[in-house]
Amino acid sequence: MLDRRAALGGAGLLAFPAQSWAADKRRVINAMMTDEPAHLNYPLFNTRIMQEICGNINESLLLFDWQFKPHPNLARAFEMSPDGMTYTFHLRPDVRWHDGVPFTARDVAFSCGVMLPQLNPRSRNAFSHIRQIKVVDRYTIRFDMEQPFNAFLLSLMASSAPMMPAHIYEGTNFRTNPFNFKPVGTGPFKFAEWRRGQFIHLTRNEHYWRPGQPGMDGIYYRLCPTPEQRLVAMESGAADFAMADDIDTVVNSRMVANPNVVARSDAFNGTGEISIMEMNQRRWPFSDRRFRAAFMHAIDRNFLVKAINFGVGKVATSPIPSNLPYHDDKAVVKYPFDPARARALLDEMGLKPKLGGVRHRFGIMMIPDGGGYWTRAAHYIKQAMSEVGLEVNLEATDWPTFSRRSGNWEFDVDCNSYGQYGDPAIGTARFFLSSNIRKGVPQSNIQGYNNPEVDALFHKAAVAVDPAEVQKLYSRLQYVLTRDVAMVWLYERQAMFFYNRRLKNVIMGPNGPADGFGSVALA
Amino acid sequence: MGFMRRFLSRPTTLFGLAVFLLIVAIALGAPLLFSRGPFTIVGMPLLPPGAPGLPAGSDVLGRDMAVGLAYGARISLLVGIASTACAAGIGVLLGAVAGYYGGWVDDLLMRMTEFFQIIPSFVLLMVLVAFLQPSLETTVIGIALVTWPQVARVARGEFLSLRGREFVQAARTLGMRDSRIIFTQILPNALPPIIVVGSMMVGSAILTESALSFLGLGDPNLLSWGSMIGGSRSAMWVAWWTTVLPGLAIMLTVLALNFIGDGLNDALNPRGKR
Amino acid sequence: MSRLSYIGARLVKTVLVTVAVVLLSFFLVRLAPGDTATVMAGQAGFSDEAFMKSLRAEYGLDQPVTAQLWKYISAVAQGDLGSSFVRRQPVLDVILERLPNTLLLNGFALLVAIAGGVAMGVMAARRPGSAMDAAMTVLSMVFYAMPQFWLGMMAMLMFSVWLGWLPPFGLETMGADYTGLARFGDIAVHMILPGVTLALYFMASYARLTRTAMIEVADQDFVKTARAKGLREGQVARRHILRNALIPLITFAGLQAAILVGGSVLVENVFSWPGVGTLAYEAVTTRDNPLLLGIFIVTAILVCLFNLATDIAYSIADPRVELG
Repeated sequence: MLDRRAALGGAGLLAFPAQSWAADKRRVINAMMTDEPAHLNYPLFNTRIMQEICGNINESLLLFDWQFKPHPNLARAFEMSPDGMTYTFHLRPDVRWHDGVPFTARDVAFSCGVMLPQLNPRSRNAFSHIRQIKVVDRYTIRFDMEQPFNAFLLSLMASSAPMMPAHIYEGTNFRTNPFNFKPVGTGPFKFAEWRRGQFIHLTRNEHYWRPGQPGMDGIYYRLCPTPEQRLVAMESGAADFAMADDIDTVVNSRMVANPNVVARSDAFNGTGEISIMEMNQRRWPFSDRRFRAAFMHAIDRNFLVKAINFGVGKVATSPIPSNLPYHDDKAVVKYPFDPARARALLDEMGLKPKLGGVRHRFGIMMIPDGGGYWTRAAHYIKQAMSEVGLEVNLEATDWPTFSRRSGNWEFDVDCNSYGQYGDPAIGTARFFLSSNIRKGVPQSNIQGYNNPEVDALFHKAAVAVDPAEVQKLYSRLQYVLTRDVAMVWLYERQAMFFYNRRLKNVIMGPNGPADGFGSVALA
Repeated sequence: MGFMRRFLSRPTTLFGLAVFLLIVAIALGAPLLFSRGPFTIVGMPLLPPGAPGLPAGSDVLGRDMAVGLAYGARISLLVGIASTACAAGIGVLLGAVAGYYGGWVDDLLMRMTEFFQIIPSFVLLMVLVAFLQPSLETTVIGIALVTWPQVARVARGEFLSLRGREFVQAARTLGMRDSRIIFTQILPNALPPIIVVGSMMVGSAILTESALSFLGLGDPNLLSWGSMIGGSRSAMWVAWWTTVLPGLAIMLTVLALNFIGDGLNDALNPRGKR
Repeated sequence: MSRLSYIGARLVKTVLVTVAVVLLSFFLVRLAPGDTATVMAGQAGFSDEAFMKSLRAEYGLDQPVTAQLWKYISAVAQGDLGSSFVRRQPVLDVILERLPNTLLLNGFALLVAIAGGVAMGVMAARRPGSAMDAAMTVLSMVFYAMPQFWLGMMAMLMFSVWLGWLPPFGLETMGADYTGLARFGDIAVHMILPGVTLALYFMASYARLTRTAMIEVADQDFVKTARAKGLREGQVARRHILRNALIPLITFAGLQAAILVGGSVLVENVFSWPGVGTLAYEAVTTRDNPLLLGIFIVTAILVCLFNLATDIAYSIADPRVELG
């Protein structure tokens, strides 16, 4: 880092602009949007932008700490029966929706029983373990499970299970309900205004149930379409927050060096996102494990993180990110950067170098990110592949094409990422279960990976009660998946969260913005 | 020959010719000059010009800028010349037919060229390339489809004025077929302004290609000057050379071509009208 | 041809052109594989067949093509350009919101280009063949050879990143909510870099035009007469030469009508200027077909009307010109 900054001297001193009018005592948070969400129905559209905005409006029953242990939120107390078959939540009696209607167990039953499973595949998967939801009384609700689901509490974390108002959505068409554009929740900030093409404005919830919160009067999410614009906004103080994809990792050093900015790399631990590449394992040679192993050996993932991604991220050794309890570095099969080994594997497969030294040609479908870190990673991979005699054709796409081709299995290899969301049963399983091989559906098991042992392991691990047993199963899973090279895991994203020093208490847990900014106050 | 004397008399034309030939030489000789291709990552990203082994520095992926600049010349020249050739082919054909036959054929062509003047042509080009999936072929075809009216207009004008000349009448009385008259009698005389227009179009085709690549609508498997600039949008803030150098390359190439075009214009139209 | 019937004929032509544009663009946007339902599904991060099917039904994407085309044309005839898939707003509203920004920027750039170009042309024409003349010519050709987007980025690098004099992006300071004169000043400051960048490209053409026209006119008889009468050089230049040289200039400026709306895509993109250019780019990359179609239609209509207006103004200014 230091030598690069010294080299900057040749470029002339790039001074950090003085903070503008905004970087003062104004009690408003200025955040940015990379593009405008289509609507604000949280369960329907669970992207990062939605999490950043709706995390302030809609809350979940529980809050989770850095060790992923549950704490009360909308549920002031909760119990699990020893056999793991029953969960009881005691709700706070003093919570009101933004329109004044009291929040009761009926809302929880509606959200978990109807709305979330209908709109959100992640919830549908998690809540399929529920046998019935019983409203015991006005503020008590009980979940009876089909079988013990040890990730059940985690499936209630932040963006996975926001509580939605029954009195607004019950019996309506969720997709066309007008409140999709003026959402109502229980959170520290409530919806105020949406000026299309400019900003979404949230104001403080005067009747918020948590004493002393929110610390600020409102939040503006201003549309700021390009990464350079967002960089300038942060540097001039016009914006207080820059989250994850907001700023290109290229200028990471500039942001980190900025004395007015605090840089956090742990704000998205709850998401646990891993950057991956998926292979269409129905096609040869991707169906051959040796080819996939050669692919892994050919990539220098340390270089990818350090140089291509400017130090942001951490090499992924397992399908489960390293900050999650089940991560087991001892169980995984490792694939160090070893081009010679890659070539040997390809030789063994019969893929010898032909004319021009090329063993095989294939395509990599890129994520349309306008030339950002995804594109750069793809270019690096292409180069790494050429070193071992594999010729890559990079396929530029746009979102419709990407979705269509990945969902319909019309690709060789693609770039992608997936989030853990607290537990492998919630985030990871969906990409490896043979039951989730569904044509026409993007973000499912599009690779076609089919291993009955893995299916069984995932099912057993989700319902095991004894924590030691669960760990044993997930360790075995990590071994099998890495041995099979079931997927190409590149690196854990550890996306950055930058905020202006004038604010404090911004990142309070692994979910970062998805838990809302109620605690934020002037420094 | 009078033409050569007139052509080489202006210093700007000489400069343009020299620069253009140099760029062509670099483009053709790139594989010989450099042992590795432009995509090869040679070290850490964003090293400034003058870093060891990197006379033009390294880009955002750690690739040698100098190699990228040399290979970028190949793309620019290829697209510029190919798309202009295609556009000229279409434009001369349609313009010749319209100018020679006149009547409703000419009307139709006039409507078509007007149409292209009215719709925003760069947006149309973006749509064509994006929707047909960006590649070298779609770029060349797209640019040709959007720029042929310029050639057609000039060709039409020439054919319109030349068709009434005596040598054409003579050819007709000799019983020559129309197509022979068009191609062997009129076309050679109509060529000078078409050539001038063509030479200017190569320059603007290079600019257009670089614009498309800059916006990310170029072939992702090819490194062109425009895509180098496009990839440097964030990097510019910490590494000016990633933006400045490819742009200078484009400017020099187009300037050289424009000087050549001016020289051709002078040499082919010695009436002194500029 | 009387002026009124000329206007009538031109308006009819405008309608015909618009229909042609609609037909062309309607089928053009269908070149792309995939539809909007898959976009939105992909953006949600996950989706299922039932969801996408209901999306398609919602947007009428499952109808036959001819039915969709007919529905669209009848809607356009009533002034309804449809609804943007991605933005959930009427297309016409979205375009009209952005149009003033583009017209402002391009209008400003046009004025700067004409002013600068004329100045350069006058300086060059004063002594044809001199060093000044050559310098002006080369300078204007250098600007003409620069990629617009690169020129913009250079300007940004110089004046925003290194010197910090001017803001690099956008229409106005984000979140400042200025009003009145302060807002006007804020926008003006933001317009300088993109406006001048746009202008420099056209300045070359105007400089050459002015220079050529002035040299030609200076040779003509009535100027020689004026000189013989003893008028001072400056007066000759201003009163006779410049005024006559302006006519081809206005002609050229009129031809640039299409540029006024669709020519600033690159500069708007570099400076994130919220105009029709950036709108078009977004529409292309997000496959927002109704918005794309709408932009083509609005642009075509505006250009036709603008051409008509300049032709009429031209005929009023110079009665020798015949309409039709």
